[in-house]
Amino acid sequence: MTERLIEVAGVEKAYRFFRLTNVSLELEAGQIMGFVGPNGAGKSTLMRILMGMARHDRGSVRVLGHPIPEQQAPAKRDIGFVSEDMRLHGNVSLAWHMKLIASIYPAWDATYADVLLDRFNLHAEQQIKALSHGERVKATLLLALARRPRLLLLDEPTTGLDPVARHEILTELMAVVQDERRAVLFSSHNTQDVEQISDQIVFIDRGRIIDASDKETFLDRWRRLHLDVPAGVELPALQDVVETRTSGQIAIVTTKAYSPGLETIYQRAGAQVRDIQRMTLEEIFVANVMSNRREQAA
Amino acid sequence: MNATLVRRLILMDLYLMRWPVAGSLLAGSVAIAMMPLGAVSSYVGSVCLICVLVILNIVLVMTFIVQEKKDKVQIFMLSLPVSTTQYTAAKLLANATAFAGCWVALTIAVVAVIDASALPNGTLPFLLAVLAYLLMYYCVLLAVGLASDSAGWHATVITIGNVSVNFLIPWLWSRPSIYQNRNSPFAVWSGDIVAVLAIEIAVAMAALGLALYVRSCRTDFV
Repeated sequence: MTERLIEVAGVEKAYRFFRLTNVSLELEAGQIMGFVGPNGAGKSTLMRILMGMARHDRGSVRVLGHPIPEQQAPAKRDIGFVSEDMRLHGNVSLAWHMKLIASIYPAWDATYADVLLDRFNLHAEQQIKALSHGERVKATLLLALARRPRLLLLDEPTTGLDPVARHEILTELMAVVQDERRAVLFSSHNTQDVEQISDQIVFIDRGRIIDASDKETFLDRWRRLHLDVPAGVELPALQDVVETRTSGQIAIVTTKAYSPGLETIYQRAGAQVRDIQRMTLEEIFVANVMSNRREQAA
Repeated sequence: MNATLVRRLILMDLYLMRWPVAGSLLAGSVAIAMMPLGAVSSYVGSVCLICVLVILNIVLVMTFIVQEKKDKVQIFMLSLPVSTTQYTAAKLLANATAFAGCWVALTIAVVAVIDASALPNGTLPFLLAVLAYLLMYYCVLLAVGLASDSAGWHATVITIGNVSVNFLIPWLWSRPSIYQNRNSPFAVWSGDIVAVLAIEIAVAMAALGLALYVRSCRTDFV
């Protein structure tokens, strides 16, 4: 049986102007889960709840089998956490931080740390305050990776990085889950990064999880159909169609549950299917968020 | 595991605070060394010693607690295998050890210099009341630094703490039991002095206790 490294059930957390509502998710060993949402969707809040840095109002959270926040300290022995806004001590070097982390985590892999130093083009003796944003993120990631944690929680680690730095980081993350006991939860609003490395994807918007599935299912079931709709023909209202845009006799229909039967339905209604397009994860994400917001407003 | 880790975090913080602590010990020692050199030197030395302890207080709390929160270094520290309570305890103990260590060393030096020089021992109770005020001021600022993220509260405590010493000194001299014994060859621990010291210690303890309580009630730490 596959081990669940994260179990979140019915979690709620209220702030004055924001509410995390009924969030549930599970992450199994060997998986990379992409946690995608616009700015302010609740990604960082959930990450901080998982780390015990923020206490949820309702629901239950277990990380590596430990209830959070009660047993956050033992859980964090096997978690590597990196967030985009995390800072290291500015007046000391990366080597000093590496020594600190090595003294805390028995699993610290000095050889791998040296490999990452070289791969990320970092200089251990350089003071942290002299590092660029990208170097700083890579330094925090090095400190998290070289301790060989079973679970990596990464809160927007690629935000503001150049394409080369992003590629370096994503490559390292993919290498992590070659060990099937480990897992990564990776939050981002950059769908390209998520699409590249994740096998599970969760969309969150305005504090609610709006959709969750494995990546292939997402990419398979979302489609955009281009239809010719002669005058007088009315397209049937279908439950899984999230958006229909019309311009003259052309209609573009977005569906979240594509099956070949859909073409037949439109053809029977008198429309002609001209093209069926697969959608990128970004297009799926935007369509999903917008359709969810329309449902909430209705 | 965690007692070891908390001790390591304390040692780490003490290492980071080593330069302000060393600088304060050096500057404080120079200030104390000036005290027996004459009336003007004694006054200048005393004022310099007060300044050294006030600056150390503000630097330790604002740089190593408040700024650490503001700069989000706290997120990194809380990603280590400690609970939020253990992290708070480590921060408080490290910071308090750094300040109290300096304070104790400089206070012992003041007592030793006064005892060994021609300065009358009768000034010791007054000086200790002022030094204890600085310790109390540190504890209150540390408490507010730990419990609150508000720059307004920090500025308020710093302003009141800095200004109040200007009221405390004339008030202490206005107490006959303190003023009349200032040139005595022996330290006279009058009821006024004991009451002032007791109040200062009580306020310091209450502030720290309140800060720990407020911190324990918080649900969000970053």
